[in-house]
Amino acid sequence: MGSRNTCITVSSDPISRFIPTFIPTVFVLMAVVLNPARVQGQTTADLFNADVVQEIRLSINSRDLVELHERYQENTYYTADLTWQGQRVRNVGVRSRGTGSRNGIKVGLRVDFDRYTTGQTFLGLRSLILDNNWQDPSLLAERAAMAFFERLGQPAPRESYCRLYINNAYQGLYSIVESIDAPFLTRVYDTDQGYLFRFDYQAAWHGEYLGDDLAVYKPFFEPETHKLEADVMLYAPIRELFREANGPDDAVWRDRVEQFIDLRQLMRHVAIETFLSEDDGFIGAFGMNNFYLYRPPGSSVHRLLPWDKDNTFADVNRSIFMRTNENVLIDRALGYSDLRALYLDVLEECARSAADGDWLAKQIERLAALASGPAGEDTLKQFSTEAFQEAVDRMRRFAAERPRLVLDEAARARAGSGSAP
Amino acid sequence: MNFTAIVLWSVMIANLGVQKIPQGPVSSEDAVVATSTADPQSADTAPQSSGKKKKAVKPPDRFRWDDHPSVHFGKGTRIDFRARFQGDLRESDEFLDAAEENSGLDIAKRRVGVAGEIRNAVDFQVEAELANDEPWRDVYANYKQHAAIQVQGGHFKLPFSLDENTSATNLDFIYRSRAASQLAPGRDVGVMAHGRVLDRALAYEVGVFTHDGRNARTANSDRVFGGRTLAARVTFQPFRAENDWRSDLQIGAAFTASPLDEGFSDLRGKTALDGRFYRPDVWVAGNRRRIGAELRWRPGPFSVKSEYMRVTDERRGQSVDDTDLSPAIADGWYVSGTWAVTGESKAKGLDAPRRPFLQGGSGVIEVAARVERLGFGSAGTGETPSEGPRAEVIAGNSDRVETFGVNWYANRWIKIQFNILHDTVRDPSQGPLPDRTGYWSRVLRFQLSL
Repeated sequence: MGSRNTCITVSSDPISRFIPTFIPTVFVLMAVVLNPARVQGQTTADLFNADVVQEIRLSINSRDLVELHERYQENTYYTADLTWQGQRVRNVGVRSRGTGSRNGIKVGLRVDFDRYTTGQTFLGLRSLILDNNWQDPSLLAERAAMAFFERLGQPAPRESYCRLYINNAYQGLYSIVESIDAPFLTRVYDTDQGYLFRFDYQAAWHGEYLGDDLAVYKPFFEPETHKLEADVMLYAPIRELFREANGPDDAVWRDRVEQFIDLRQLMRHVAIETFLSEDDGFIGAFGMNNFYLYRPPGSSVHRLLPWDKDNTFADVNRSIFMRTNENVLIDRALGYSDLRALYLDVLEECARSAADGDWLAKQIERLAALASGPAGEDTLKQFSTEAFQEAVDRMRRFAAERPRLVLDEAARARAGSGSAP
Repeated sequence: MNFTAIVLWSVMIANLGVQKIPQGPVSSEDAVVATSTADPQSADTAPQSSGKKKKAVKPPDRFRWDDHPSVHFGKGTRIDFRARFQGDLRESDEFLDAAEENSGLDIAKRRVGVAGEIRNAVDFQVEAELANDEPWRDVYANYKQHAAIQVQGGHFKLPFSLDENTSATNLDFIYRSRAASQLAPGRDVGVMAHGRVLDRALAYEVGVFTHDGRNARTANSDRVFGGRTLAARVTFQPFRAENDWRSDLQIGAAFTASPLDEGFSDLRGKTALDGRFYRPDVWVAGNRRRIGAELRWRPGPFSVKSEYMRVTDERRGQSVDDTDLSPAIADGWYVSGTWAVTGESKAKGLDAPRRPFLQGGSGVIEVAARVERLGFGSAGTGETPSEGPRAEVIAGNSDRVETFGVNWYANRWIKIQFNILHDTVRDPSQGPLPDRTGYWSRVLRFQLSL
């Protein structure tokens, strides 16, 4: 008995010590594993969750930060650490970005995760954009426009709002924008082997042929992939696109142009921009702007990808044919009845889609609800909070009226009484 | 002056030497005089003042041509006229600059100068590199009244590194070790106390300089380098009194300390043929410190030399959070050995052959080998190495080089060297050949020294 007791005593001591330790440990582990705060934010889907306002913190050496603000016109990179949901990414490269939105007060930023550390990615991303929403008083246009492209089946960068802090100082409401780069291509096209170019605005250009010299096209099209390839590989198909677009013979124009651009996709892209009353897009007020050109591997046929849509929702009454005759490609394409019909079809699709269940109106309300708090605290934004509210009201009116106006004009155009060229 | 011209001049000088120079063995003390350099510590390069004077009987004429053309002004006062010309033929897998690729000839070094002494109390030297943006090399005076404490002032090499402070005339290899070339300070303006004590077994040098040497500077004015620099070097020959095979063994240590302004560090890694393998844009601020250790032993016709040196640049307040980063570090070492196959004593100097070429002999033939490494990085750990200017762990690089050489000392004035070098760059993407880790180079140098 004594032996048995001894045995029990010996065996029960560890258990009695183990149980009080074990049970809390299990609970802690379950809490860690199931804790939504921990699970959330581990993927790009979480980063680009459109229903929340993220919080991103950048740490930048104070000397670099002063220089970043002073030299915002330069593309100089500075080292930073980026923190999001407790994850800190070390030694990322940040630089000022933007064209019209570039300023030294609320600096738009490009973040490159692999700038200084070879192969470094964040959630699989090599880079992302922190858009300062500088030119858009509503702070909603970019987000709403990209969501609309996506809704219409056009690949577009994912976006979400964030409160940006630099060295713990609030910088205002920014949009986190997915970079259009190799990981984007992989997500959208399942390959990153294609040729991708960012259109870099140099001067007003409406698609005229610029000549045989490839060097003329280089400044307009910044390669994002195949950067080390010879110019002839990169730019010859682009040159041919504009050579054929300006070809004199209508009989062969379409066959030849379609060897270098997907005209149906182009018409769809431009129709969506037109519905959104884009001021600075492919048929923008100052020539072509704000798009990427993508050429799949083994093909010479280009496609357009949308970029930087903060100048959308400009005018609810804008004609669906405004400036269509200024761009060589669009002007010639609309001369083909099927392409013209497609253009009108897509415009009508846009109108119905926006109106369907008040999708666009609800989108604006949802974004406004997300943005209003952070925007109110945003003392660096270009426009006042009152201007923000007024701009949101204009967008509400746009959502309410634009579909009907577009449908009416499209119907008139089909009937031959529209303002079509 | 091109390579051919140097050779023709050399032949003329050699023939002049046949007529002028008295035959017979040259004493070790003669050799000391012939190899006098700015290094006050090196036994084979010590200033004449700290050693014994030449004992040759002075001819009555004021102008003489013994080791150098010289003019004498009475007892203990003279001026020597010196010149050195070098031409290199280089072939390498590494990219060479376009001009050299066309001609196959490296730009020759052309140095001229004067040296001498005044009343046996002051040594002086003025040396300039012709056709160079920064022509002045050694420009100094040395008060040498007492061997135990001498004072030198002017523009000369900081007391750091055995290899760096060995005259180019007396190098065992065509190029100095990578570490000495890029981590040792080189020349700057300053004042230095030096001397030999403990029966000349212990030598010391302590000086203050305006900056931390030309080696540490680049043409890029944005880069920062050390400010006022304290430098010291001590060497010790523990068996000097033994007078046997151990007596030449010398060990030493050195350090420098300088303040460092905030900016991008000027430290960079270059191969012997000037190909960059490390291009840092690293913020530094605080202090720069160098430490060095050295060993030299020259028993008979053999010699062994080795050094280790390390430079640390502080990075105070340079993190993205304005806190301190771990210091940026550059370190390097080499081990080299030589053998005079013709049997001469290395310690007594090989550059004054007992049987010169064209004077009944073949000169001195020496073979040499060296292995070395130069590396860059930081003391930080715990994160992925990065090329970021404010990275805690710097993604550095290193170059390991094996060199094999043959030296022919034809006579007192002519030296021909041939080196084969094999570089191994750890991260070739930063190196001169991004797709190759290792590559070979071959260099032939013709040197004429007056």
